[in-house]
Amino acid sequence: MTKSLAVQTRIPTWAEATSGIVAMLLAVQFLTGILLAFYYVPSVDHAYTSVSFIEKVVSSGSWLRALHHYGSQWLSLFVFLHVLRLFLSNAYAERNAQWIASVLLLGLVMAAGGTGYSLPWDARAFFSTRVAEGLVGGLPLAGGNARLWLLGGSQISTLTLSRLFALHVLVIPALIAGVIVWKRFHWSNVQRNAIGAGVVFVALALWSFKFHAPLGPSTTEMTADYLPRPGAQFLWLYESLKYLPGGLGSLFALVLPGIGLATLIFLKWLRHGRLIGSVILGAGALLIVGMTTASYLSDRKDPRLHQQAAQEEALRAAPFTPALLNFSNTNQAGGAPVLYIKWCANCHGANGEGAQQGPLRFPPLTGVGAKSRRTVDDIVGLLKKPEAYDLQPPMRSFSEKITEAEMKEIAEWVVKL
Amino acid sequence: MTDSHKPTRRSFLLVVPLGIFATIAGAAFRFLRPRISAATDRWLDVAPVNEITGSQPVGRKVVAEHIAGWAITTEAHNVFVLPARSNQVVSAICPHEGCEVLWEQQRNRFSCPCHESYFAADGARISGPSPRGLDQLPTRVQDGKLQVQYGLSHDEANRA
Repeated sequence: MTKSLAVQTRIPTWAEATSGIVAMLLAVQFLTGILLAFYYVPSVDHAYTSVSFIEKVVSSGSWLRALHHYGSQWLSLFVFLHVLRLFLSNAYAERNAQWIASVLLLGLVMAAGGTGYSLPWDARAFFSTRVAEGLVGGLPLAGGNARLWLLGGSQISTLTLSRLFALHVLVIPALIAGVIVWKRFHWSNVQRNAIGAGVVFVALALWSFKFHAPLGPSTTEMTADYLPRPGAQFLWLYESLKYLPGGLGSLFALVLPGIGLATLIFLKWLRHGRLIGSVILGAGALLIVGMTTASYLSDRKDPRLHQQAAQEEALRAAPFTPALLNFSNTNQAGGAPVLYIKWCANCHGANGEGAQQGPLRFPPLTGVGAKSRRTVDDIVGLLKKPEAYDLQPPMRSFSEKITEAEMKEIAEWVVKL
Repeated sequence: MTDSHKPTRRSFLLVVPLGIFATIAGAAFRFLRPRISAATDRWLDVAPVNEITGSQPVGRKVVAEHIAGWAITTEAHNVFVLPARSNQVVSAICPHEGCEVLWEQQRNRFSCPCHESYFAADGARISGPSPRGLDQLPTRVQDGKLQVQYGLSHDEANRA
């Protein structure tokens, strides 16, 4: 004990404020998360619409969502700094329970960020889910099964979104709450912690006023050239994966951090604990700072990303389009049949008027029946094989989605427009 | 700093968590404020006028769109055309607690299955807990079709 005290590093006293800042950021995440759940719907057909509603329509929605989004990034940073501070003050040896709680918290906060990224179900979320799928699936031995369990099936579906939602809003917060209840944060100096937390909150609140949380195009609207980028707390991983041969991604992204965190937890009982801890935290900090900087530098001058940002800004300025839910099994006289509303109206408009969404142009259907060759059978043929009519994606074949009789019902209405 | 000053300093620092909570609570109040679930005030077809014959009320469904936050829902609603009142259209929703009334042909009255309110063929209240007769909907005839608005006006009447 005396020996460990002897090697204790001098750290600035204001660094003690990390406890208060982490506690404040956690409280902000819980509060804003609860509020977002009042509108959010974890289903692939409505997740994007409900997030877009929060972002564009609900008062204070954009700010609360930005607090949650950037708060999670700041939280990752401050939990890491907190762990670093505890390590430097020898907490792993002297206040072991608090040390273990903080390392667990670091892992849980990263997991919360990882699962949260999928929830808006925009293009960015979709790719984040894809990458998570690949990383989990690439794990040695258990990869195949872990992937199936994460996805809830053999491919990404609405079940996957439900699972990530349950993990993000129930399982992980419960574990975080458990860790905090188990070992409350140590307030060595109330004044410094309170002031630190207050200053960081004001900074986060202003930041969230100035910068919107990103919301990319929906998965149905995204184009093939979309360039996904993760949140700030995962940029180091994103950049590193560029340089790693495919098979090593899972080892690097999941196994290595897992071993690192486990080693930190058991640091007290390891011989040369201080050296091992210094290597893990030092290498981690170096990797994160280096790779995040590299990623920033390589993206900064990419004109495609600037163009993409401009497109997202245009998308944000576009008016909110509500989802159509049909609870009546009768059709309004002259109105669109339920099948049309379900499969066609999102792109071609509720009354076949057509639409423009970003770079995509969805042609109006009004007047198609005026062309003599566009009979009901001809439109059914088009729905089966749009490529034979020189139509481009996202217009796709409906052969596997609806029956021929259903296509006919749609066609009979469309032809009269 | 003496010990006697410490409690004041400590309680002053409560300003920080309280301030943060109040800021978010203020935004939360705006965020959660209920939105009026309005029906669009489109004219909805009930039936061609020449299909309404006889003196008995005729039950029909109209499909109205309601704006509910991020969704527009399409819902069918039961209405009755009242030939006894020159084809005025009333909602089937009982003004008492919102159950749907039925037309009893034999007894020439509407009855509510929930709390036994009864209404005459012209929609006027006969007996039971309902505070008033069946609610009338704005009605018009356009191109030989009887049309109603099942919109804000009706939702408001229900809340009244």
